Amino acid sequence: MGAWWGEKGRVGLRLRLGVLGRLFICFRFRQIEQLQRCEPISEEQVKRLCLKAREILIEEGNVQVVDSPVTICGDIHGQFFDLMELFRVGGFCPETNYLFMGDFVDRGFYSVETFLLLLALKVRYPERITLIRGNHESRQITQVYGFYDECQRKYGSSNVWRWCCEVFDYLALGAIVDGRVFCVHGGLSPNLQSIDQIRAIDRKQEVPHDGPMCDLLWSDPDDIQGWGLSPRGAGFLFGADITKAFAHHNATDLIARAHQLAMEGYKHMFDQTIVTVWSAPNYCYRCGNVASILELDEHLGQEYKVFSSAPLDVRSVPAKRPPADYFL
Amino acid sequence: MHPHQLFESPNSREIHIAGWVITASTSPISNAQECDALQAALRIPLPEMTFGSNFLTLEHRPSAWKYTFTTKGALGAVKNGELGPGDGGVRVGYADKWLQSRTDPSSQLPMPKTVPTKPYDWTYTSTYTGHEPLSDDQSSAPQFTWREGDKDDASHTIPIAELSRPDPILFYAEIPLYEDELHDNGSSSLLVRIRVMPTCIFILSRFTLRVDNVLFRTFDTRIYHSLSSNPPRIVRETRGWEAAYDRVLRLLPKRNDLTPLTDPTWIGKVLSEMPRDENNTGWRGIGSKIEVSELR
Repeated sequence: MGAWWGEKGRVGLRLRLGVLGRLFICFRFRQIEQLQRCEPISEEQVKRLCLKAREILIEEGNVQVVDSPVTICGDIHGQFFDLMELFRVGGFCPETNYLFMGDFVDRGFYSVETFLLLLALKVRYPERITLIRGNHESRQITQVYGFYDECQRKYGSSNVWRWCCEVFDYLALGAIVDGRVFCVHGGLSPNLQSIDQIRAIDRKQEVPHDGPMCDLLWSDPDDIQGWGLSPRGAGFLFGADITKAFAHHNATDLIARAHQLAMEGYKHMFDQTIVTVWSAPNYCYRCGNVASILELDEHLGQEYKVFSSAPLDVRSVPAKRPPADYFL
Repeated sequence: MHPHQLFESPNSREIHIAGWVITASTSPISNAQECDALQAALRIPLPEMTFGSNFLTLEHRPSAWKYTFTTKGALGAVKNGELGPGDGGVRVGYADKWLQSRTDPSSQLPMPKTVPTKPYDWTYTSTYTGHEPLSDDQSSAPQFTWREGDKDDASHTIPIAELSRPDPILFYAEIPLYEDELHDNGSSSLLVRIRVMPTCIFILSRFTLRVDNVLFRTFDTRIYHSLSSNPPRIVRETRGWEAAYDRVLRLLPKRNDLTPLTDPTWIGKVLSEMPRDENNTGWRGIGSKIEVSELR
């Protein structure tokens, strides 16, 4: 099925494009190559890329419909060289179709390059890569956890951050693969029993602090029955019965989500009705965890590919051992 | 000067000096199986980054005194159950607003029926000071006691002048025990550091908490031993501080640069220098104490 629409996509592209169009594609290709070397692109290029991305994303539904085969990825958090490792393990885009479940930015050292590369791929191969929103794709969160600072440092102004945040507002809230696998960054909401109800949300806004859109990006599965209130005082936890009821109501087999670190790269819960996929190896450059991606074949067969962080020599991250310090 | 020997393996480092054997072990965060076992023992959900295999152990061979910092020990001091007075319980900054959006009579999104979730201190606040491990045969183990330090006795203090001297550091280690990002509502971490100097052993175990828009908290345990003390004396000092988020925010060197808020050293310094916030949570860790123990 994927191969079929792939063919159709290529033929369609050739028919529609004039000379200018081909030049544009060539330019996009150069941009992707540059970003793949972890070289930031100019502020003007970022602006145009973000505008183009918005044009594409605005046409997508809140729950983007995706065909198998597709490779599902969890949090990346600006770990650019580990994202390149992910592509080495899973195949590069567009040879492999990808679905990223959010949290592209913050915490790692290369949020700018990470997000812009994914965005450039989205603009170049819109049918081959799906990006859905994580709770870090938010103005408020990125101001605390690094992306804002990084934009300021690398571009000397907050323009790039602002344009990226505008793109965040257009990202889909979820995706459904072949009508059977529901993908979302966080989890379920007590106000959303059906996928159609998610389609009715007005998503083009900053991630709110409450309500169903917030729940989709923030909630967590937990070993409880029904809905639970987080001990933090805000946010929901949901149990196996809720997960199974959602699957039954929407005729789905699996919920794939990200949002929580899993030492083994992925973690099944509730009789394999939900899985957490984590794609940032050696998270924050100090956890020593492995990461994984979930490959869904054309029959929705699941294969988890586990990978470790990129070798130390290709990146400039702090040395493993901290220097001796005269702490007091 | 005491002769010393260093030993090293991929996950651990050791120094032998003046009758002491000091071991620092650091490994990746615990895997699912290790987490399940630890969680079963502690009966609270574990921090996202639980370095369950990490530890620092000191052994004084002549007296058979042992002291250790472990992840299990540190998390064992986190409140399990409903938080009461002294526990310093807090909620996230937007909790009231969130709850109101669900419970307001005019709410479009009424609260669903919820089941109680496990009550515990989700900030992982710990006043752990390290501990003396139980030996296999407790009856024959020597008994050591901590007594309150004498304020007028200089040997019962941590000598900042000596520790500020740029003597060579013979052995250094940083041992993270746990860290949690509080679901993007701040940060909680416990880091143990040690440096062995030609004249002394010095340890700082520091718990640091930031709850965005709510508060900061630090709990320090410092352990000092002069290698020339006779009988061998251990000084243990604990200090805890807490301050409202906004008060700390006002002390940022640059108003728009929030990065110092993620630096435990900066937070520790600012908290220790600011006047005590009387409007605190009543957390029992606030305040200071100095104790000594003699190894004979």
